[in-house]
Amino acid sequence: MMTQYEIVVGLETHIQLNTETKIFCSCKADSWGAEPNTNICPVCSGLPGVLPVLNAEAVQKAALLAAAMHAEINPVSYFDRKNYFYPDLPKGYQITQFDEPIGKGGYLDVHMPDGSTRRVHIHKLHLEEDAGKTKIEAGRRLVDFNRCGVPLVEMVTEPELHSGEEAAQYLTELRQLLRWIGVSEADMERGHLRCDANVSIREAGSTVLNTKTEIKNMNSIESIRQAITLEAQRQIAAVEAGERVESYTLDWDADTGTLRKMRSKETEADYRYFREPDLLPVKLSEEEIARIESSLPELPYARKMRFIAEYQLSAYDADILTSERSLADYFEETVRLSSAAPKTVSNWMMNDLLRLMNDLGKSASELRLRPAELAEIIDLVESGKISPATGKALLRKVEESGRKPSEIVTAEGLGLIGDEDALRSQIAAVLSESPSEVANFKAGKESLLGWFVGQVMRRTGGKADPKRTRELLLEILRK
Amino acid sequence: MNTTSLSAFEIARRVRAGELSPMQVLEEHLAQIAAVDGIPGQLDPPAMDAREEQKVHAFIQVTADLARKQAEQIQAKLARGEDPGPLAGVPVSIKDIFCVQCTTTTAGSRILYNFRLPYTATTVARLEQAGALILGKTNLDEFTYGSSSESSAFQPHPNNPWNTQHVTGGSSGGSAAAVAAHETPLSLGTDTGGSIRQPAAFCGVVGLKPTYGRTSRYGLIAFGSSLDCPGPMARNVSDAALMLQVLAGADPKDSTSSIQPVPDYLAALAEGVRGLRIGISPDYDHIAYPDTETGEMGIQAIQPEMNQAVREVAQVLASLGAEIVENVPMPNARHGIPTYFVISRVEAASNLHRFDGVKYGYRTQKPVQDLSELYRVTRAEGFGLQPKLRILMGMYVSAAAHSAHYYQKALRVRSLIRADFERAFDPTGPYRLDALLTPTTPTTAFRRKEVLRDTVLMQYSDQMTVGANHAGIPAISIPAGLDPQGLPIGVQFFGNDFREDLILQVAYAYEQATQQAPWRQEVPQALRATEVK
Repeated sequence: MMTQYEIVVGLETHIQLNTETKIFCSCKADSWGAEPNTNICPVCSGLPGVLPVLNAEAVQKAALLAAAMHAEINPVSYFDRKNYFYPDLPKGYQITQFDEPIGKGGYLDVHMPDGSTRRVHIHKLHLEEDAGKTKIEAGRRLVDFNRCGVPLVEMVTEPELHSGEEAAQYLTELRQLLRWIGVSEADMERGHLRCDANVSIREAGSTVLNTKTEIKNMNSIESIRQAITLEAQRQIAAVEAGERVESYTLDWDADTGTLRKMRSKETEADYRYFREPDLLPVKLSEEEIARIESSLPELPYARKMRFIAEYQLSAYDADILTSERSLADYFEETVRLSSAAPKTVSNWMMNDLLRLMNDLGKSASELRLRPAELAEIIDLVESGKISPATGKALLRKVEESGRKPSEIVTAEGLGLIGDEDALRSQIAAVLSESPSEVANFKAGKESLLGWFVGQVMRRTGGKADPKRTRELLLEILRK
Repeated sequence: MNTTSLSAFEIARRVRAGELSPMQVLEEHLAQIAAVDGIPGQLDPPAMDAREEQKVHAFIQVTADLARKQAEQIQAKLARGEDPGPLAGVPVSIKDIFCVQCTTTTAGSRILYNFRLPYTATTVARLEQAGALILGKTNLDEFTYGSSSESSAFQPHPNNPWNTQHVTGGSSGGSAAAVAAHETPLSLGTDTGGSIRQPAAFCGVVGLKPTYGRTSRYGLIAFGSSLDCPGPMARNVSDAALMLQVLAGADPKDSTSSIQPVPDYLAALAEGVRGLRIGISPDYDHIAYPDTETGEMGIQAIQPEMNQAVREVAQVLASLGAEIVENVPMPNARHGIPTYFVISRVEAASNLHRFDGVKYGYRTQKPVQDLSELYRVTRAEGFGLQPKLRILMGMYVSAAAHSAHYYQKALRVRSLIRADFERAFDPTGPYRLDALLTPTTPTTAFRRKEVLRDTVLMQYSDQMTVGANHAGIPAISIPAGLDPQGLPIGVQFFGNDFREDLILQVAYAYEQATQQAPWRQEVPQALRATEVK
């Protein structure tokens, strides 16, 4: 009988917090696009004599993330020194949190497409400073300190993921959560969200943890899915061939879709951790912790479930509308302001607003077309004051001009002709031009009604109220 | 007699009153340096002749131009009718472990031989703002790692102005010597295990280690970050109080600096000692010292004049109305040095990581194969013996396999040492002390080279002082006589957290009461030499 294998994956993520300044100095946190070594100071470049001063915003954001991960926020946490030599680590130690980090425990529920849920526990959640970047160019080693001191939260999962798909889904939901609570831009390509994966295999049903390999350099969710899948296949093939899985580090090459062996993992490095004497313990009072926890917004999955229950949306619609917090807020605000059914609002957003956002490359919060205007447009259409086509065109006009929908309708004469006398004269004109069709209708070919409506619409440039037009046509033709 | 004999207090008073020109003060002090200091400490010193052997060698660098600019600024302020500050026109030397813009900052190490920093330490900046003139950078043990100032990479090392065949103590030896030899009335030192108080005692000057956090560490190249304290060195207690007043206070650049309000130290001085409770401890009349063969801790007597001085000081204070509390137990004092060996080395090893030859300072000129060889060779060539020993020990005792036995244990012992002091100062406890009186050192200044190669013995010269660093409390060393060789004896007062005012007050009372003592009329050898000339 063939052995069944289970894939065991643990993820180590580094999350760059979107604070204004770095974690221990007043340099800007974000150096994207800056020339090397232009966003540095004596503190983050580790000159002698200087001291770190903790950025309170980084603590707040890390604590909020801990709360969002259902972790316990530690009322007293400590910074420690992790000592090692590397050219991009200017102090020769990294200030991090070791045994008393800001978050304890926690989990993320990962929702798989088949409807199953995988609860992934968090092994460690702590604050630390980022190191710089090193690259080799023309045989010379170049160091850029811009990234030194950027605030990171390192979050390590238990080995509770069991496929590349699950790992990818974990990161998808984590990325959504980070943006949702506003602690990180979570852009993987810019390194705001980095992920290494530890991969091993075992016989299905076993609980042992076998030798693992570590995959680095995956900078997209798709890379993570592919790399883990590939590595698990390789390990299975190796074991099937009677070989042993060796502990080493693999580098993912996204261009070729292959894994490259970097180095054998040497004996565990001794970082000689000890308390950072230059910083005080990080204390959060009960009140502060309560305030942070209560400031946590409704989380994406809960909100999605509520959208389904409260607004009778399909799971698909609810999923998309809760993909970003600003979009979900936009939806609920529009529902609140509009007299249309939530499902109608959802349709408008799913079909038309998302297309508009996509075309313009804007997020919901960046649109000039606010929920009040969208609600107004939907209500104008629903009440028959404008046609659906006009409504759709209005979305773009409001976005471009910033004017109120009703103003544009009046100014451009876009309102539907609902006035009976006006409609009767238009209908009379159509009927007098089409004697044979009138005769055919009266002979029983009532399917021509739609054709007559179309003719009236054409004469009025689409402004005739289609419902009223149909009623009047029937009344006149059946006389 | 010129301004080099004046106190800082008197110089500032006269300069502010327009009676004395800051430039005259400066030039007279520069002349004194020229007369007594000899060649400055340097990496490749010339052969020393007998004449240089008699010199003080307190300085690595004299910053005459910087000080002249500052003196001009004081004069300009006076001309505009502005207040030039409480240290107007007062020369100050700076231990070369503080970053000062426009100077090199060597830490007494080859690895920083050419290092100029773009910022100034908070304490130095406060001295400058108070009107002080920065005379230069004084020599020290390499990275402050020592108790004799002989281990500097910059030679000649400082000599004791009372007898240049003896050491100054350390690591703030250049600072203490410069003050004792009237090259400056004030010097800024640092104290990690006794580095202000021990050289102050050896050189017959006043040295105060403030409460941890009372003075900012920003701009101080770190040794033991949880122990380091910048503090004043002066020739008398009121000058130390005046300087501390300028140095003390919260600093947003140092998270560990205290926001506790700073009292008026000068105002408190004259309040006397009547009713104050001064303790004496039997645990401070000897030292615990490890047997070189077995490592067993045994008891070793200290120089008898030390205990004699403590008795005499206690008598003087008693005669002034203080209550002397005998037999205050300090049972954990004996663990001070072993604990310090561990904690200070762990922090030092980590603090030295940044000196790797990659970014600044010394880098080996030898061809190297790879990065780790660059690190190894640079550090092997750039660091002297003491940094190497401390790196080895610090890395050993904080390694994952040993940390529980050494580093974590040392932290627990440290809190026991602190508990001894808490009990002694507890206002509701059995002793209710205002100050604890002890010798500052087990001996007076030892002869040059006598202890240098014995790192353990050298470290034990801090046994009397190191408790204040473990406990974070303030302590002051003041002169209390001369031994039969004519070398200064220091006594020390420990105080409770942030009670620098009280220990200054006690020290001042003793100093005032003994102004006429014969030993106070004696003059250091280095000064006698200039007088003859």
